[in-house]
Amino acid sequence: MRGLGAVVAKDLRLLLRDRAGLLFLGLAPIVVITVAGLSLSTLYGADPTGQTAYTLPVVDEDGSEESREITAKLAGERELQIQLMADRAAAQSEVRDHKRSGTALVIPAGTGEALREGRSAELLLYTDPVKYLERMHVQLALAHVRDSLVGEWGERARGDAKARIASMRTELEGVRASLGSAQSTLDEAWQEAQRRRADASDRIEREAERARDSLRVRAASELGAARERAAASVSRQLDALREPIARWLAALGETREAFGSWLRELERLAGSRADRIPPPPVFPEPPPELARFASDGLSLELPPPPAAPEFASFPKIELPPLSPPPALDLPALALPDLPPPPGALRLVEQGISGARTTVNSFDQNVPGFSVTFLLLGMLLGVSLGLLDEHDWGTFDRLRSLPIGLACVLTGKLLSRFCVGVVQMIALFAVGRFAFAISLGPQPLALLLPIAGIAFAGAAFGLLVAAVAPSRDSVLPVGSAVAIAMAAIGGCWWPIDLEPRWMRQLSLGLPTRWAMEAFNDLMMRQRTVSAVWQPTLVMLAFGLAFLGVGVALFRRRLSTPVEGG
Amino acid sequence: MAEPQIRVHHLSVRYGARQALRHVSFAAAAGEIVGLLGPNGAGKTSALSVLAGLIRPVEGTVALCGLDVVASRAEAQRVTGFVPQRLALYPSLSARENLLFFGRAAGLRRASARVAAERALALAGLEERRDEAVAAFSGGMRRRLNLVCALLHEPRVLLLDEATVGVDPQSRERIFGAVREQAASGVTVLWSTHQIEEAERLCDRVVLLDHGRVVADGVPSALVRLAGTPPHVDLVTREPLPVGWERGVPGVGPCEPVPEEEAAAAGGALVRVRLDEVAGAARVVERATSLGHEVLALELHRPDLQDAFIALTGRELRD
Repeated sequence: MRGLGAVVAKDLRLLLRDRAGLLFLGLAPIVVITVAGLSLSTLYGADPTGQTAYTLPVVDEDGSEESREITAKLAGERELQIQLMADRAAAQSEVRDHKRSGTALVIPAGTGEALREGRSAELLLYTDPVKYLERMHVQLALAHVRDSLVGEWGERARGDAKARIASMRTELEGVRASLGSAQSTLDEAWQEAQRRRADASDRIEREAERARDSLRVRAASELGAARERAAASVSRQLDALREPIARWLAALGETREAFGSWLRELERLAGSRADRIPPPPVFPEPPPELARFASDGLSLELPPPPAAPEFASFPKIELPPLSPPPALDLPALALPDLPPPPGALRLVEQGISGARTTVNSFDQNVPGFSVTFLLLGMLLGVSLGLLDEHDWGTFDRLRSLPIGLACVLTGKLLSRFCVGVVQMIALFAVGRFAFAISLGPQPLALLLPIAGIAFAGAAFGLLVAAVAPSRDSVLPVGSAVAIAMAAIGGCWWPIDLEPRWMRQLSLGLPTRWAMEAFNDLMMRQRTVSAVWQPTLVMLAFGLAFLGVGVALFRRRLSTPVEGG
Repeated sequence: MAEPQIRVHHLSVRYGARQALRHVSFAAAAGEIVGLLGPNGAGKTSALSVLAGLIRPVEGTVALCGLDVVASRAEAQRVTGFVPQRLALYPSLSARENLLFFGRAAGLRRASARVAAERALALAGLEERRDEAVAAFSGGMRRRLNLVCALLHEPRVLLLDEATVGVDPQSRERIFGAVREQAASGVTVLWSTHQIEEAERLCDRVVLLDHGRVVADGVPSALVRLAGTPPHVDLVTREPLPVGWERGVPGVGPCEPVPEEEAAAAGGALVRVRLDEVAGAARVVERATSLGHEVLALELHRPDLQDAFIALTGRELRD
């Protein structure tokens, strides 16, 4: 460990004395990151500062509230910088002649009216096909604005309708309150009518009683008179009957005398058998009253005059009942909700990891170019460093000491690994403060892929040192490989821009896994669990590079030495 | 002879089809400075690389302080200091930072490394410039620093591969002094070089390597004797000397033929005279001037390891 520490300290000291090397490790990547980041800042959309927004000429031929809303909304898009143009010709000139914009927008007259009337309206885009990326970004921004406005307008219309319904409901409530008041008045009137009806009924009852008494008096009088008339009539009729009756009574007495004579003759004729004649019927004696009537007549004794007839009570006159007052109540009017307006089909984009869907292009460029310069730094530090030691003869001297080759190589790799980690951390810090890159939800998790790529890069440097036939070939060979690894691995541009076969190829490079890890943490906002696998893959790459590199380097050391 | 601190036995190294070392064997005792001398491609660096534990031999054994560098590499490396041929320093670090790092890499604790670094700075004469970046150093300063970086953990065996390449004489002397100091303290030094003078001046013993083989191993004087060639002097005068002018001069042999190309390039009349002893050179000059000739140049040629190497291999050391 004593020797290892000495080697590490020595290599770090050598690096500190190497101003060109320090500039290459520190300043050069910052310059390249800045230039590349700003140049490619629109790759993922506008940069956070908005300084690279696309200029969008806008011609508002409509001048309506809606068109002004569209323009204002577009002005709020950070990808766009609105430039109002006088007419279409000016807008076309901006795109075609001056080439200052890839797209221009015209809001034709009648747009607002069509929208208000629920008709479709069209916006016109003048586009430059060469500026493909700008065109796509502008169209996306326009689509975003369109969706947003359609949503707002729909919401606004629904809000208006709801307000109207609410107003109607309020008015109905007023009507309902008025009806309630009327109902109270009506109820009171009904109560009064009831009371008056009862009074009327009582009065009718009294009048009926009085009429009944009057009738009884009149009936008694009438009856008396009728009694007298009836008595007189009867007397007359009886007087008319007394004569006939008297004759009949006289006839009857004579008949009875005749019969007694006939009977006794008969009995005498019957002789002995007279006893066998049944007793003859006995003539009834005429009632004395009749005889007296026939002789004297009859004085009619009139019964006392009848009492005045009692009239049965008059049937009670029932006043027709008062029908209850009508219930003045509005039926519960359920005002129907507005039918939903025709739905707008909106595209809701949601990052699978919950991260924002727009990213800072420096989130790609800072780790990408940091990895690139890490690899190039490893070429200088490890590859050229080992060859420098070889050329300086210090390698032979170190190998002649008990420190051992493994210790020398380990120290060299360890020092450069530490430098690489510090370099990456420093570049990420610069990226954070200068370009507002995201460090993800767990910034410390970045240390894993940083350590992984630093280890793989250091081992890669050893491999190059072992393979390169000479010092002069390290940079041409090593830098070509390192740059190819960086480019194919997605360090310079999003990996998805590469064709499928190249993406497959990139799986065989540690740079791809490093960028996967950095993208997961910084862009996809994932946690440390997402970077264990790529880190392990990078460590595996490093171990493979290390194994092959050490073997080849040992072999290289066994080559003949020119000299005595 | 005590147990050697460096013991190389039957060492063979192969790089693919090329055989860099073939059955090389030598040894070095404690406190001994042994030169590994040979032309480029002779196998010196390969031998040092095996000793430093940088490469594995295909055959043979190498032991440092009794530790097998293959079986006990780390232990062997703890007792070894290796100075590679190339400047093994970090240019952007200061001298002190380089020393501290290599001290720590050699296994020293922080405090020990600081003490060792200060000591090394003093040894290299770089105290005043301890905090300057090595990139600002001269070649000689870098070489000195390169050397002392290998001494921080006080090794018992010091391996130096062309440690003075491109240095100024002052720095070379400092390096020699430091190496001698190490040897005097008991450190075994294996000095790989193709500089004959260095080997002759510095080394107690020299192992001559050629084409991956040891062609000779011994003290320098003994190796020179193996060359079998006496010293001679090349004398350039404005006018040609008369025939027989050298006769009677003590310790001076007869003149030898000079290749035409050398004679044409001499800028005067060139004669080559064999000497029985080095002191005869002065007498040659006295004779020429006594004969009234103006001496333009004099060059003394003593037999050295180069001659020995030529005698042993048939080609020059610097081929």
